[in-house]
Amino acid sequence: MARYIARRLLLAIPVLIGASFLIFSMVFALPGDPIRALGGDRPISEAVQAQLRAEYNLDDPLLVQYGKYVGGLAQGDLGTDFAGRPVSDILGRTVPVTVKLALVALAFEAVIGLLAGVLAGIRQKSFFDSLVLVTTTLIVSIPVFVLGFLAQYVLGLRLGIFPIAGVANGFSGYLLPGFVLAALSLAYVARLTRTSLVENLRNDYVRTAKAKGLTPASVVGKHTLRNSLIPVVTFLGADLGALLSGAVVTEGIFNIPGLGRAVFQAIQSQEGNVVVGIVTLFVFVYILFNLLVDVMYAALDPRIRYE
Amino acid sequence: MTSTLTSPEVSGGPAGPALLEVDDLHVEFRTDYGVVQAVNGISYSLRSGETLAILGESGCGKSVSAQTIMGILDSPPGFVTGGEIRYKGRDLLTMSAKEQRDIRGEQISIVFQDALSSLNPVFSVGMQIGEMFRRHRGSSRSDAKKAAVELMDRVRIPSARERVNDYPHQFSGGMRQRVMIAMAIALDPAILIADEPTTALDVTVQAQIMDLLGELQRETGMGLILITHDLAVVGEIADRIAVMYAGRIVETGATDAVFGAPAMPYTEGLMASIARVDQKGQRLNPIVGAPPNLAQLPDGCPFHPRCPRATERCPTELPLLREVVPGRRSACHYAEEVLGV
Amino acid sequence: MSEPRTPSSGDRSGADTGLLVDEQAVPGAGAGPAESDAVAHAAAPGHGTDGAVDLRQASLWSDAWRQLRRNRLFLLASALLAVLAVMAAFPQLFTSQGPIENCSLGQSKVGPSGDAWFGYDIFGCDYYTNVIYGARVSMIIGLVVMGGAMVIGVALGAIAGYFGGWFDVLVARVTDIVYGLPLILGAILILNSFTNRGLPEVALALIALSWMTFLRLFRSSVVAIKDSDYVAAARSMGARDSRIILKHILPNAIAPVLVYATIFVGGIIAAEATLSFLGIGLQLPAISWGLQINSGQRLLRTAPHIILFPSLFLSVTVLSFILLGDALRDALDPKLR
Repeated sequence: MARYIARRLLLAIPVLIGASFLIFSMVFALPGDPIRALGGDRPISEAVQAQLRAEYNLDDPLLVQYGKYVGGLAQGDLGTDFAGRPVSDILGRTVPVTVKLALVALAFEAVIGLLAGVLAGIRQKSFFDSLVLVTTTLIVSIPVFVLGFLAQYVLGLRLGIFPIAGVANGFSGYLLPGFVLAALSLAYVARLTRTSLVENLRNDYVRTAKAKGLTPASVVGKHTLRNSLIPVVTFLGADLGALLSGAVVTEGIFNIPGLGRAVFQAIQSQEGNVVVGIVTLFVFVYILFNLLVDVMYAALDPRIRYE
Repeated sequence: MTSTLTSPEVSGGPAGPALLEVDDLHVEFRTDYGVVQAVNGISYSLRSGETLAILGESGCGKSVSAQTIMGILDSPPGFVTGGEIRYKGRDLLTMSAKEQRDIRGEQISIVFQDALSSLNPVFSVGMQIGEMFRRHRGSSRSDAKKAAVELMDRVRIPSARERVNDYPHQFSGGMRQRVMIAMAIALDPAILIADEPTTALDVTVQAQIMDLLGELQRETGMGLILITHDLAVVGEIADRIAVMYAGRIVETGATDAVFGAPAMPYTEGLMASIARVDQKGQRLNPIVGAPPNLAQLPDGCPFHPRCPRATERCPTELPLLREVVPGRRSACHYAEEVLGV
Repeated sequence: MSEPRTPSSGDRSGADTGLLVDEQAVPGAGAGPAESDAVAHAAAPGHGTDGAVDLRQASLWSDAWRQLRRNRLFLLASALLAVLAVMAAFPQLFTSQGPIENCSLGQSKVGPSGDAWFGYDIFGCDYYTNVIYGARVSMIIGLVVMGGAMVIGVALGAIAGYFGGWFDVLVARVTDIVYGLPLILGAILILNSFTNRGLPEVALALIALSWMTFLRLFRSSVVAIKDSDYVAAARSMGARDSRIILKHILPNAIAPVLVYATIFVGGIIAAEATLSFLGIGLQLPAISWGLQINSGQRLLRTAPHIILFPSLFLSVTVLSFILLGDALRDALDPKLR
């Protein structure tokens, strides 16, 4: 098991490096002049442009830029935006907000999704099962932003249950956007759990469990569930990336001052360092989370440990 | 026709009350293609200490009847439409679900053909064996584990104490089958059903497993129902044979008697088709034709299309299982001729 | 790259990883129970009582087609998509005006009425016409990106899977790296560098970030099939590699890819809409449902119809693709027989 973990860790490192370099080059190597974009319509004199370029190493070849950036990282310096504010400050402000949002979403997703999936799976072809299937299909078809507006309109404006924007009023402000963010994942989790459960219930070892005289609760709850959870766990890893993407949209709609909104604004104003900082953080978290998922997967399925 | 093969002169094995009586059992499968009569009115019985072999080709309904006894038939699509299964006098089919669950595993247990798919891949073998004790005896986890190690020793799995925490995929096929046997005999059941226990194994391992089963049976005096299509295996260990064809029992009797002198053309064909060492160089003798489609059984005797002795009577009149000579039953109009009496 | 992970990365704008669980991520789901052989016998096609076996060869595809024809959801989805395809190709059949004809700011944001079924957009143009024309962009992007990603993924997957070696390892690492970047985020990054963003740019960005799943799916099929007995038989009869790939591996390996491709189109359409909504995708004066929804953002209270209609069309389109993919998956999955 330890060897498995070590191997996954080792494999993750080149991926991390590769991804970070990819992001860096996408931001700094693609056509488009950040300095000029920063100025917008205001003309910036050549001298100032040159000074800014030197300060941000924009004239160096890409690899050197990257090298200097990584060097700075090692010292905990993520650079600053073009107005001089340290990127780490921006992160410090926005990370807690998005983390709270993501946790709310994860909670919704795990609890409701798993529950619905298990119930639908053990009562196959029942009304509840059909309901779950239809609802999840519908949710999956509706893009996040549409869902967001729908929720905002119906639950926020019309019914007035939840606050419709901002988190100034405390935690309740996270509920609606959290739910919207979770909705899509929830649908997947429910379907995946259901399909997995149904597939596993057809297995021979379920028959053996019954033949041993085990109670139905034990047959499903103990024997089948653990096998069925394996693909769900792996899905959750891939899903985090989607949650991060979705956060960009959701935070925009509900006006939440988190990472998603920050990265979007940064991209619009071509704040290279901010973009790289945030997106790299996203990707790192994503890759690490997947590593965690791999470990959990091995914990659940002993056959994997010996590959 | 209900029949209880309980009188000592009828059974070829140890006398004693019937432990299990299957009485005119009918099982059908309702599928999209139509209704399939998988088991068509079979009756047999088993006493303690006795080994009954149920012999037949794949698709004849022998596994279905075993699963019905165990109460693990997939329903839907399978449905019991008639008959009784009496265990120690009580009909299993009418018992409550809880009572059935209590009997399952503790008093009647089963060993399946493919141990790899029949064992849960994510739990250790020790846990799966020990589960029997935790469920039926309320044992603690550590007691159950100790018992599991003892059982693994008993079925001759080497290094039991070290291997008790291993997972099914870490064992070889033969060892896995021993694990299944360990699970099945854990609580000293009165009846063990072995559904094609050696079909998936190599020949040498087959012999070991059959020896083990025989030994366990002698030790515990349990009844053993052996379901198989392999004649060699039957000859080794069975006291009595019931031959099944197309969901019906077509012949019963003591093993030696049936092997030596079959009373039904199908059995005759089976015996003749065995490849024998003293027939080296000669052609094999298969039974011509193919097993019938259980959704469209022919009228009359189901074997008649392939039977070398068929007459005009056979396609129209269904032969019932009847006693030909004491201790021998056959479902053939011409059983006497076949037997030679 | 060996463990059965659910395929798609952070692309969730419709690409339903859950629906593909059979393909990749259900370990322990072995062959079905050793159900009565009796049923298997009875169900085998053409097994007559006289013992003769029907020689009708049922291939995977003809069986699948027969099953699809009877599937009501498949028929519904196909019908909807056919309508949408026509709408995309010949919008004139649905509306007599052009999208920017007869616009007058005086009618800006007016709601639906007998004259204008969908009301008017913020520029005072007939909204119904605009929404109809929006179908074109979505369908084109969906198909182009699907085509591009599939070609790249299948080609690379075939080579990597069949020949293995260093190429396989390299492709695996690259895939891992690109997978690390969620779709929308990555697309935002790429599109940001273009000053003019039209269909080609958006398509390119999306293709660059979505070929990986096609590759993984196809590659794992190839690897599974190339080791199979019937390929070994073909090889022992002297068949060349190219013939083996084309005749034996391709038809069988392509099935899960096609199922994924169908669902994928829905996801791409949603992704384009998302990007346009965010302002980083297509730009005005392009006509895209995403842009239309964007324009209605602040108007939820006063002019909800602006968000409503394109959202409806968008959702129905994505839904149709998903239903189509579901039906295809059910029809092509031999385990569900």
